[in-house]
Amino acid sequence: MNGITSSTALWYTSRATGVVALLLLTAVMVLGILISRQGRLPGLPRFGATSLHRSVSLLAVAFVALHVATAILDPFVTIGIAAAVVPFASHYEGFWLGLGAISLDLMAALIVTSLLRGRIGRRTWRVVHWLAYLTWPVAFAHSIGSATDMQRGGLLYLGVACAVAVAAALAWRVTAARRAVPPGQRPARVLAEATAGRRLERDRRARAGAGAR
Amino acid sequence: MSVDYLAAAPPAPITGLPRLIPADPATDHSLAGHLARLGPVPHRGDPRRLIGVVEAAGLTGRGGAAFPVHRKLAAVAGQARDRRRAVVVANGAEGEPASGKDAALLWGAPHLVLDGLQLAAQATGATEAFLYVHRGEELSRRLLGALRQRSAAGLDRVEVEFVQAPDVFLAGEESALVSWINGGPARPAFKQPAVYERGVAGLPTLVQNVETLAHLGLIARFGADWFRAAGTPAEPGTMLVTVHRADGTRYITETGLGTPLSALLPDELAGPADGRIRGGVQAVLAGGYHGAWLAPRQAAGLALSNASLRPAGAFAGAGVLAALPPGRCGLAETARVGRYLALESAGQCGPCFNGLPHIAGALDELAGPRPRRQALADVQRWAGLVTGRGACHHPDGFARFVRSALTVFRAELNAHASGRCTAADHTPFLPVPAVTAGS
Repeated sequence: MNGITSSTALWYTSRATGVVALLLLTAVMVLGILISRQGRLPGLPRFGATSLHRSVSLLAVAFVALHVATAILDPFVTIGIAAAVVPFASHYEGFWLGLGAISLDLMAALIVTSLLRGRIGRRTWRVVHWLAYLTWPVAFAHSIGSATDMQRGGLLYLGVACAVAVAAALAWRVTAARRAVPPGQRPARVLAEATAGRRLERDRRARAGAGAR
Repeated sequence: MSVDYLAAAPPAPITGLPRLIPADPATDHSLAGHLARLGPVPHRGDPRRLIGVVEAAGLTGRGGAAFPVHRKLAAVAGQARDRRRAVVVANGAEGEPASGKDAALLWGAPHLVLDGLQLAAQATGATEAFLYVHRGEELSRRLLGALRQRSAAGLDRVEVEFVQAPDVFLAGEESALVSWINGGPARPAFKQPAVYERGVAGLPTLVQNVETLAHLGLIARFGADWFRAAGTPAEPGTMLVTVHRADGTRYITETGLGTPLSALLPDELAGPADGRIRGGVQAVLAGGYHGAWLAPRQAAGLALSNASLRPAGAFAGAGVLAALPPGRCGLAETARVGRYLALESAGQCGPCFNGLPHIAGALDELAGPRPRRQALADVQRWAGLVTGRGACHHPDGFARFVRSALTVFRAELNAHASGRCTAADHTPFLPVPAVTAGS
């Protein structure tokens, strides 16, 4: 296989969109984890992170769709439409493509419930949305396992970077959850901080005033 | 109006006041005594016709929001028709520390409240009823005794379950109450779906203040016209009020809506005919800790009704009036109550649990000597930022209370700015309970 020809174009497109989809899904995952603990991105209001999470997930969906469609259409290997959605139905790379099918199904569940969030209620949506923590690792495993070119060189570093980003976000989430103040203690905590802040400021000004004299 | 519904009314309707709590200290508060005094609750015809009588009477909620009772009754009745089950709750959780009228009513007329609860259950088609109260062991024992008497007499169609409310300011907020009865924390929720659709156990739920139910018990007996004999045409009937006099004493009474504030605080507000005030009061707090401070001159011209108080930025609320005597610091009082209210935030909504404590901190500075000019600007700006930003109206009421203080106590603010406080007496005046953090 040397260079892109009409017969290899779909193959390369499928590979390329797959890599971009992994990057975007990683971004979606990191943003989602951030939002779940009401974290903020520098320079963005809190709702900014939420809408970024939504927009990037829609972009990721587009790349995943392209990735799957080109893989099915590519004549080089035969992957039926069925194998794209039914896990482990493919003869070619059965296990690794099966993981791809699973993550595709999970993603579909996440998207459909998010679009219907107003109807199904927040609680149901939330339970289904926890599946995201399963979706990303499965999609990641599919990327590494089915693409030999992701197992070395620059793409390997890219894969590792994605994994590190998600792991770091998870670690931050766990620490943030552990540090979270229960609702009943929040007002007292804020009041203590506010009062201490005012006292400090007054003392500082008093000292500055004394110094000026 | 359904006359036959009221045919079982006793021969002698109560004339004059009080209507709700018998004035005679020797009153027999047992079920027998209650029935001998007022007669049985009429049970004629379709119980839902009571909703029409309540509409004609113009009864509104006495828990503070003054929402028309017939609309709530009709909403829950409509839901109950579809679901075949519903819940009614008598709300006696009087979280407002300055109010004592619900406890006084439950003590002095328990069976009238329970009559109203049964009537509300019948009018809505409810199958379960709760009595939700958080005052003292002794009152609980008395109410449980009253419930036992009624079930022994086979009087009630719907059994009443007694629930002890937690000791927090927001315990009586409708959605917090529902959450608590459902086994959750007593924290307000966003009203979607509304409590009348999905409340206790997911059933359509009617929550009414105990005083509202007591009025219902009387309206069912004596009719809408009788109820309207007191009050104003727009705001008919009577309400219980808790009045804190400038001399530090407190009294609870029943009065018609539209009663001049000067009649409730005669020593403080009823001045000579030329409109000057005697000087026995520095400011009047109307509507409790979610209400507003009024200057005495202004208060003397106002009456206990929303029509009169709303234009002045206050409201009748749950009927709390407090007269701050001269020689006390209004800013210190406001800061103390503000701190309490801030700590009573449920800690759910960011604007509330961040904003209120920050405002309380700034108020504390204003109450002290030589506050920075920034502190006043902070309070004004933040009070605007928290209003309308919570699941419940706690931040709104807090902001209303605080802002009114900045207007009414402007002279005191100026004094503090130059390092003086005009108050001679620094002992706390308004009642504020100790806050149990983490509840």
